[in-house]
Parts: sequence; C-alpha cells; structure tokens
Amino acid sequence: MIEVNHDCTCQGNPLVPQVCRITDIRNETGDVKTFRVQSLDGKRPFLPMPGQLGMWSMLGVGEAMFSITAFGEDWIESSIKAVGELTEAMHELSVGDFVGLRGPYGNGFPVDALKGRDILFIGGGIGAAPVRSLIRWCAVHREQYGRFDIVCGARTIDDVPFREDFFENWPKMDNTGVHITVDRKTDNWNGSVAFIPDYVETLGLTPENRKVVMCGPSIMIRLTTERLAKLGFARGDIITSMETRMKCGIGKCGRCNIGSKYVCLDGPVFTLTELDELPAE
Amino acid sequence: MRLNKKDLNKILSILAEGRELFVPGQVRGIKQFKLWEGEAPELDGENTILPPKDILFPKTEKMYTYKTGTEAEIAEIVDMPERIIFGLRACDMRSIECMDSVFIREGFEDSFYARRRAKSLIVAIACSGAGVNCFCESMGLDPNAAPSADIFLSDGGDCYGVEANTERGAAELKKWAEYLTEGDVPKSETHCSLAPAMSRELSKKLTGIFDDDELWQEVTGPCIQCGTCSFVCPTCYCFDINQADAGGEGVAFRCWDSCMFSDYNQNAGGHNTRPTKKQRLRNRYLHKLAYFNERHGMELCVGCGRCISKCPAHLDIAEFIDKTAEVCHD
Repeated sequence: MIEVNHDCTCQGNPLVPQVCRITDIRNETGDVKTFRVQSLDGKRPFLPMPGQLGMWSMLGVGEAMFSITAFGEDWIESSIKAVGELTEAMHELSVGDFVGLRGPYGNGFPVDALKGRDILFIGGGIGAAPVRSLIRWCAVHREQYGRFDIVCGARTIDDVPFREDFFENWPKMDNTGVHITVDRKTDNWNGSVAFIPDYVETLGLTPENRKVVMCGPSIMIRLTTERLAKLGFARGDIITSMETRMKCGIGKCGRCNIGSKYVCLDGPVFTLTELDELPAE
Repeated sequence: MRLNKKDLNKILSILAEGRELFVPGQVRGIKQFKLWEGEAPELDGENTILPPKDILFPKTEKMYTYKTGTEAEIAEIVDMPERIIFGLRACDMRSIECMDSVFIREGFEDSFYARRRAKSLIVAIACSGAGVNCFCESMGLDPNAAPSADIFLSDGGDCYGVEANTERGAAELKKWAEYLTEGDVPKSETHCSLAPAMSRELSKKLTGIFDDDELWQEVTGPCIQCGTCSFVCPTCYCFDINQADAGGEGVAFRCWDSCMFSDYNQNAGGHNTRPTKKQRLRNRYLHKLAYFNERHGMELCVGCGRCISKCPAHLDIAEFIDKTAEVCHD
C-alpha cells in the first residue's frame, strides 16, 4: 500500500479546474511561451512545491499537464512549448483571457533531501522549466544549500528559455556557476557549442556531496547519466522528472503508469535508482 | 430470513419506489443490467454478458459545465440519483470492491464515483450457473457469497435466503418485513468451470517474467487491439477526460478508455510510451494480476470469464495464468 502525502487544493474536487485569468505572457523562444495566471479573485490558484504539476484547461479544446515553473504571492506560471493541438491553441491566447487550472499534482523535488548538498542542475531545452522551479526555491533558501552549478543546453542560443534567469539573476547568486551550451553555433553566440553530455563532462565536477537534478529529452538523460557515471556519480544521486500523457492527475485514469507506480502521483520526480526498480516499459 | 419467490415482484416494487432499480434482463438481445419496468428479472442461468460497472462508473459521465469568454465559469455537476443494483453476483461484487479501492479508498477520493456509490444499494445473489469460461474460485472468490453486498440472497428452491451484511441493508430489509419469514436456506453449491493455477504467490512472481519476450510475443500475437476485453471487463476502470464544446459553452465529460488502444499513451510531439501491442497487452495482464495487487492488496481480475467469451481473437487470460504459472515455478 502506498501513502499519498501531498495535497490537491482545487476546490475540494481534484478533477474540476478553477477559472483563472492570464495576467502575463512572455515569449521565451520561438516556440515556448510562459503563461502567468491568477484566480478570478486575484489570488494564487494554489500553492505548489517545486517540480509539482498543474493541469491546464483550454476551455473548449481540452486539458494537458505542465510543470509549474514558478509561482509568486498571487500567481503561478508554466512554460509551454507549442507541439500539438492544445498547446498551439494556447499560444493564441492573450493577456486577460481565461483558462482552467487544477492541481497541484505529484510529489515535487525533494527539497529537504537536497539540503546541505552541492547541486548540479541540468535543463535540456524545455526541460529547463521544471528545473527552474527548483532553482527558484533554492535561491530563496540559499543558505540551506551548497554550491550551485546550473547547466542549460539548447539547440541554438535563441532557443534558451528564461533568459533573464540564466543571464542576469542566477549568475549573481552566491557560490553559483551558470553554464550555457548550444548544439549549433550562430553569429550571436561565442560560448560553448557542445551537446549536454559532452559539456557536463568538461566542467570538472566531482560527485562528493553533490546531487544532480536533470530534466530534458530521454536521450539526453541517458547519455548524460553515462558520462556522470564515469565521473563517479551514483544513480541514486541523480534526480529527474518524468513526463507522459496524463488525464486525471490523481492516479485513477490509468494512463501514466510504469508498473504499479503512477507518474502523476508517485512522480513525476524520481531518482534514477527508483526508475531502475520499475519495469522497462 | 426467507423470501418466497412468488413475492419477488413485490420486493422489486418496494426497491423501485423513488429510486432507479437495475436488474439483469435483455436489452436488444444482450443480457445486461437494465432499468426495471415490472418484468421478471433474469436471475437464473449464466451471468450477464455486460458487467454492471456502468451503473457506478458510466460509459460517459458529465463532470462539469463551462462557459468561456468574458463570463468564464466552471460548474461541477453533482446531481446523482439514488440507485439499486439487484441480482449481481459475487464476481461483479468483487469488481465493485476493486473500484471502491481505486476511487474511494486509495489516495484522493474521486467525488463523481464516491457520490454514486454512496447513493447505491446493492442486493447480490448467489451464482446460479457458471459459464464455460468462469474461474472466480481461482481468483479467491466464493460464487455462493458476497459479504460486501448490502443484502445477499441465496437460492432455496421456491424461496430465497435473505441476509443483510450492512446497516443500510438491514434498514432496507425492514421495508420488506411483511414478506419475510423466519428461517434459513442452505448455502448454494455453484462451482466454476475453469481452474487456472492462480495464487497470491503467482501474483508476486509475475513481474519477474516482464522481460520474457518470447512468451509475450506468443501470448499477445493474435490480439487485434479492439478493446473488447476492457469493454466487457467488470474491473477495467481507465478513463479519458474530454470536452464537448458548443461554442462559448460546453461540458467536460469522462468516458471509458482502454489501455489496448494505440493512442492511449500517445504524447503530443509523437512519443508513445507503449507503442506496440505486446507492450500494451503485457501492461493489461500485469496490471490485472500483479501491479494492482501491490497497491490494493487484491487482483484486478475477478474470474468472470467475460473477456475470454467475447475476445474475437480467442485470447484467454485463464490460459495465460496457467502458462505463466509454469514459467514462474521453474
């Protein structure tokens, strides 16, 4: 039997969204937009933990689950890449429009287990979105954590999301290194051109007292893990967030299972050791 | 207590008063649970072809209405009628226990199911005849008992033995008082046709054959991915959530889904976590016989045999259990 200890706060019924108003939309890259929303009475729709999920509802089109990439006193935001019918419809929305939102779902990152540790954050492409929620949390509680190394990889420099954070806010944090790398060089970039697995190996990071939090395409996770293993990192110290199709968010609809675990309920955050114990679907 | 079978219709009239009463009967030639309209229910012979699950977990269920535009709003649909399910058998009662565990007991409560369940009274009956594909006893059930039903009827020839298992059942029996007499009837002796080698031990071992590619290829080969097994299964509870939009307003609903369908795990962008039928059917069998047990302490198969009877490709979960029992005990 598995205890579920997180709370879903949407009006008592975890399957019914609340209406929210879009208060800000930012273009992150050519195909990623960040949507900021608040409830109709001007409040934060719910209080998420870093790495938790929100089910966004485009009324009349459908619902899809996205990681909550940041929240403030009276807002929540998610960064959404246009890849299908629903997300393309969302990209047509304007400030002032309404969406439905329910959540938070999932376990979130282990913010307590990370205390006192150095952390290597790795975000590949839109995988930077869930990682951002954790970096923001750790920045607020900066004294509780050790050194930060933040790696962002993208196809080109124009595909790097959260530019204000990567180029302005995070480099100013104490004891923090921000490392940007791109797959393809363009005229407006003089920095590193390398895939994340190759790049991470060159940073000279050792596994002692260090945890890795890594999100991105599965091929990136697999190859980077191989390189990290060469450097001596244990699979139990590498944390990632899974994404898969979801409908309910509370482990009922059946869709997101891996063996007896549900990504929406027991995840989306797992250590690689935890994933090793699940069937290789 | 005893109830003379001649008085059954009077009892059904009591049950139907102000409530929706479902009984086994024919609808367009298919034996299934239907709204009672005064006829004699089909309690004898083999079980219904379709399970009673849609009474508690409808094929399509409206969840909330919404309006878009400047007056955007979302309103949950909470209106649930009071219902009686009369004449379901031990296997179908166990399937409701499975759904209770999923929707009410484990983790978050599913309000839609929980409201229906709270307003439903269940009168179960001893199994009157096993079908050729029944194997409930192998799944740990007794076809002659349904201890979690509100009221249980056993067959005593010209009368029924009547017992209440819950407080709600006992309260209901008070309404039947003028038709009940003192006395018991002996427990029925119906037995299953099949006896696959299922055991709790096997349930724990099954995940060990996850990588036995040859076995899964053989087992899943004939499957045509039609989803009939999920449709007739009393315990399959997967659902999809969608919206029916009428321009500026609409309704969100959920409907049955099947893990056999190729778009079940289809992600935006093209990735599919279970792209082959081998992976999908393996997930279905292991969910039924192993994964569910890890979370809920029981199997998600009640041995009713409906999926065996109706599979157009002759897949047979009882045969699968026997095959894997051999492999697992090696």
